[in-house]
Amino acid sequence: MNETVKLNTTKTKVTKEGNVWVIDLPRFSGDSGTHHHTLGLLTPYFAGLTEGKLMATRCVNDNCPISRGKGELWLPPRADCPDCHQPMVWEEIKNPAGEIFSYTFVERGGMGLEIECPYYQIDVLLPGVCTIVKSYLSTRNRKIRIGDKVKAKFRTGLDATNTCLDLYWELGG
Amino acid sequence: MIKFGKGNLRIPKWTRPVYAVAGGMTDFRKKYPEKKLEELTMMAFRMMLEENDLKMDPLEIKSLINFACYGEFADHFQDQLLCEAKVHDYLGLDLLFNIGVKTGGATGGSTILSAASMVASGMADCCLALGWERMDEVITWTGNYYISTAACKDFETRLARNYASYYAPMARRFQEMYGVDERVRAEIAVKNRGYACNSPFSQQPGKHTIEEVLAGEIVSDPLRFLECCAMSVGSAAMLLCTEELAYKLTDKPVKLYTAGGSHTLRTGDRRPMEIPLLPHETAGDYEKLYKDMEKQKGRWPGFESFGATRFAAWLCYRMAGINNPIEDLDLIETHDAFTISDLQTYGDVGLTLYGDEQEYVRSGDCYLKNPKTGKQGKCPSNLSGGLLGSMHAVGATGIFSATEIMWQLQGKYDKFHGDPKMWQRFGKKKPADWESLQIQNNPKKGCYVSHAGVGSHVTVGVLEKAW
Ligand SMILES: [Zn+2]
Repeated sequence: MNETVKLNTTKTKVTKEGNVWVIDLPRFSGDSGTHHHTLGLLTPYFAGLTEGKLMATRCVNDNCPISRGKGELWLPPRADCPDCHQPMVWEEIKNPAGEIFSYTFVERGGMGLEIECPYYQIDVLLPGVCTIVKSYLSTRNRKIRIGDKVKAKFRTGLDATNTCLDLYWELGG
Repeated sequence: MIKFGKGNLRIPKWTRPVYAVAGGMTDFRKKYPEKKLEELTMMAFRMMLEENDLKMDPLEIKSLINFACYGEFADHFQDQLLCEAKVHDYLGLDLLFNIGVKTGGATGGSTILSAASMVASGMADCCLALGWERMDEVITWTGNYYISTAACKDFETRLARNYASYYAPMARRFQEMYGVDERVRAEIAVKNRGYACNSPFSQQPGKHTIEEVLAGEIVSDPLRFLECCAMSVGSAAMLLCTEELAYKLTDKPVKLYTAGGSHTLRTGDRRPMEIPLLPHETAGDYEKLYKDMEKQKGRWPGFESFGATRFAAWLCYRMAGINNPIEDLDLIETHDAFTISDLQTYGDVGLTLYGDEQEYVRSGDCYLKNPKTGKQGKCPSNLSGGLLGSMHAVGATGIFSATEIMWQLQGKYDKFHGDPKMWQRFGKKKPADWESLQIQNNPKKGCYVSHAGVGSHVTVGVLEKAW
């Protein structure tokens, strides 16, 4: 078994509608069985991953009852603040590093899984982020623990899948 | 941080009381090729009308129904949209109106909540709540794929395509934060699967040992095979009505209260908040827990607890006048899809304080016969066999749990589980060592929990003896 987890998937097709990415999600075979799923206002997140950037959103509305204009970051991002309904702003998290909040070792996924089993699915706690990010670890040959430090890695350029799989993590501070 | 506004915490106040008078179900199986889905719902419907000692002719009772609420988790499994319409027509209830209810694993409980609201509001005097799931048309791994589409398709579904893998990190976190001994988890599987041996409805009865559970294969780390429920086929039904009608229909009417809570599809998006306190709890009870959580970078509800369950209990207990659950409730059916979720629920519904869930199971109070004292436990759980031992035909599950509680309060455990003919009906033989699990000492109130996935929707119901 290789030390590093591999994907067994092909690049997801993207169609651009103005600034928005619409991705193909095949359900049945062929074009007629494909869903054209928009990434809408979250396009900067998915496009960002393919360029090695982790983009999050923040509420900066001074009148927001929770953020008071100084909200924490949301990851997964949201275009609109759930507390005041105003548009949030984008912010890049530079050199993202965090720690494992929880995890499971996936020995067998369901049908159509694009990650080669076994692998660690991990939940990552990042400073300044109010949510906990579900993702996966590149390493699979080591025992891990809650609290272990991890840093973000990206699938970019030709390796990019144009999906959430373009973000993954490796062990180490 | 989630903060509540005044109106958010309003206790539901029904315009008139709601009663449960009858229940019915099929047996539950991994595969059920003998019958079509509509035919299975007819079995549950007929048992409800014909076998609950109601004081009117079954067809006369049917003529009293004004509205129907149907629970089905996923259209995917049968590749049939609007199955509700087929079932409603098949049961002969046209032209009455019906609605379909979908809240993941909590679908059954939400179907009862919807039906109760119809009666409470005056929309109906007599309302059918009926649910089902047929999960046998596809292989288990395709079924897992379908269920996993109840995770967020943009950010999570691609990370496992197996729902247990979204649940397992919560189990892991709870286990490590509270130092759960896996023998306690295994004990829950042994208990519930053991109780299932006394029910003709059960899909997975078994007399197992703790060692056997622990020796099993891992399904989704840290959970082992016997710690997980299975995919099921089957249906369950309950009849709800007004007070006036309830006393006309039965000598043993049961009063119903129910409420629900919701908390995000993505576990990680749960923002922290202060623990909403149940009537018997004080802020002081949790001072130590908050300090411990801080040390472990924890938060409430975090991955350890279910905010939606606590919120549903918070509302429902106040509706039902439950001041101290361990004293006021005689029994409970938890949504034990996994051993760990059974364990987690004891804190959420306040049978014990958060953090003490493991000690609660060790106390023996969740058994019909407490192994420590030899007497009846204070609040036996899942005497039906629960999800682990009996069934998880998802849209039917909450209705199954509520019906089992109702039958217990009515003193009908033996009638529905002990009659050799009931076993024969499902092609089974009543076991020679069959034991009655009828709760003794005049039980008055029972609780059921109906729970979706990572806690996105939960309903809590309290049933109360009313004769
Ligand atoms: Zn805001």
